[in-house]
Amino acid sequence: MIAYVRNIQDACASIFDGMAVTFSHLFRRPITVQYPDRIPRRIQETLPDRTRGHLEVDLDICISCRACEKACPIECIVIEDVRIPKDSVAGVDGKETARVKEPTRFDINLYKCMYCGLCVEPCPTGAIRFTKEFEGATDDLSRLHLRFVTPERREVVLRKGEGYEREQAEKARKKAEAAAKPEGGKQVDPPAAGEESKEGDKE
Amino acid sequence: MKALRTEDMTLNMGPHHPSTHGVLRFILTSDGEVVHSCRPDVGYLHRSIEKIGEIMTYIGFMPYTDRVDYVCAMNANWGYALAVEKLAKIEVPRRAEFLRAIVGELNRISSHLVALGTMAMDLGAITPFPWALRERERVNDLFEEICGARLTHNYVWIGGVAFDAPDGWLEKVRRFIDSFEKMIPEFNRLITGNKIFHERLVGVGVIDRKTALAYGISGPNLRASGVDWDIRRDIPYGIYPELAFDIPIGGDALGCIDDGYARFVIRVREMEESLKIVRQCLDRFPHEEKEHRTRIRKVKPPVGSVYVASEAPRGELGFFIVSNGTEKAERMRIRTGSFTAMSVVEKIAPGLMVADLVALIASLDVVAPEIDR
Ligand code: SF4
Ligand code: SF4
Repeated sequence: MIAYVRNIQDACASIFDGMAVTFSHLFRRPITVQYPDRIPRRIQETLPDRTRGHLEVDLDICISCRACEKACPIECIVIEDVRIPKDSVAGVDGKETARVKEPTRFDINLYKCMYCGLCVEPCPTGAIRFTKEFEGATDDLSRLHLRFVTPERREVVLRKGEGYEREQAEKARKKAEAAAKPEGGKQVDPPAAGEESKEGDKE
Repeated sequence: MKALRTEDMTLNMGPHHPSTHGVLRFILTSDGEVVHSCRPDVGYLHRSIEKIGEIMTYIGFMPYTDRVDYVCAMNANWGYALAVEKLAKIEVPRRAEFLRAIVGELNRISSHLVALGTMAMDLGAITPFPWALRERERVNDLFEEICGARLTHNYVWIGGVAFDAPDGWLEKVRRFIDSFEKMIPEFNRLITGNKIFHERLVGVGVIDRKTALAYGISGPNLRASGVDWDIRRDIPYGIYPELAFDIPIGGDALGCIDDGYARFVIRVREMEESLKIVRQCLDRFPHEEKEHRTRIRKVKPPVGSVYVASEAPRGELGFFIVSNGTEKAERMRIRTGSFTAMSVVEKIAPGLMVADLVALIASLDVVAPEIDR
């Protein structure tokens, strides 16, 4: 009988103890926010720098090395490119990297992407990177298929590609001439790179 | 008076049931409230992760290990990285080992918080759940800062960790463990010491030592049955051999053994031990070493196979990899703690009340995706 009463006593006591803890929470600072509205700043601005949101590409510094395309386990990234006259770009860390190709198409399927970051890591220039944008909910999947190369940009790049091809043709002609002069019998291999750029031209 | 004629009833519990933590199904036969048999029907969350592991390159499979057990993605990453590193003989810088241990133990804390919170909720105590999730959010904040993601971290990579700790991060971790240490007694006041909760769990779902060993139970569930076995100490990996920590086991020291309550208390105690480990890692952190990763572009292990077990919050998480000398595995097998924990339900359930069955499942801390992979 005594044990029975003691039990009830203990139960009541522990309920009050628990309630005291619960009650104390009324006076603590809340750690939740009222997303998406009723917050002073957009939630994206409050996220840490490394947040893995949607991907973006800075095409001005992309050298089309395709490291990101190869690294992606689920083939979200699709790149097509042409050879361009060699120049160089400054990566995000300020380091100059030679560029011989430029994309005529750079697509990222965000609806396939799992935001793992494997594509960002090998990029030599830091062209591909995460933004803090994460609100991707949409009723239209094609909106998540990001096409970074605009038609206008594509035209510009293709023209550059043509420039490269002319350059190559010129070089090949000169080489052939030079080879023809002294001996006349030696065959000159056409430069392999020239073929590639023709491929790019077809697109 | 004539005894009432009773009949067994077949009851379907799940796959969508508030107490099954994900998509899990049990087929019960019960006589009134008493369970006569209970057959767990698993496989609803099967995503062929093992098969994916054979299609992907070793590096490309890493994000999928997050999904093996998303409640403790760091530990799953780590377990996989350990296996591949052993197979391909890749060195891990010391700094990375410390970062791994810190995030691994923080993830253990957050995983146990989910386990404890949901367990209390399954038994009808609502408050502990938001309490636990609030603390877990703080761990997630730390993770978000170091790797950019809150759930599927993909942080521990083959050869090290993906990023070094950002400036001030280690101090933030220290602040968190300092404050969390004070929160554990509050949690105990809130629920662990609660008389009703105690009465509700003591003697429920008893798994004795022999059964636990026979069924291959591992992790906290095994230790609650009084078996002194922890992979961190017994098959050490990472920097665990250098760290001092206790391994709580069920018995006199804990004040309870074998039952649901022991499995609850052991997780609370393990959180305390994890705090100890994190604190030691912070104290000894090798600031002078700068490298946090061995840079690798390609992993091409020699022909052979390897099995490496690691101690995840839900027990032994082991990766068995057969390599054929290419960039992709010939066979990938994942052993998880939840799967074996699920198998023991069939043995323990007969004779329990339906409500106690819920307590049993909750106390085993199974996570559906980890059962099915
Ligand atoms: S890895 Fe970087 S530079 Fe190379 S193709 Fe991708 S975005 Fe461009
Ligand atoms: S984040 Fe991962 S899944 Fe997404 S594009 Fe990059 S590599 Fe592919």
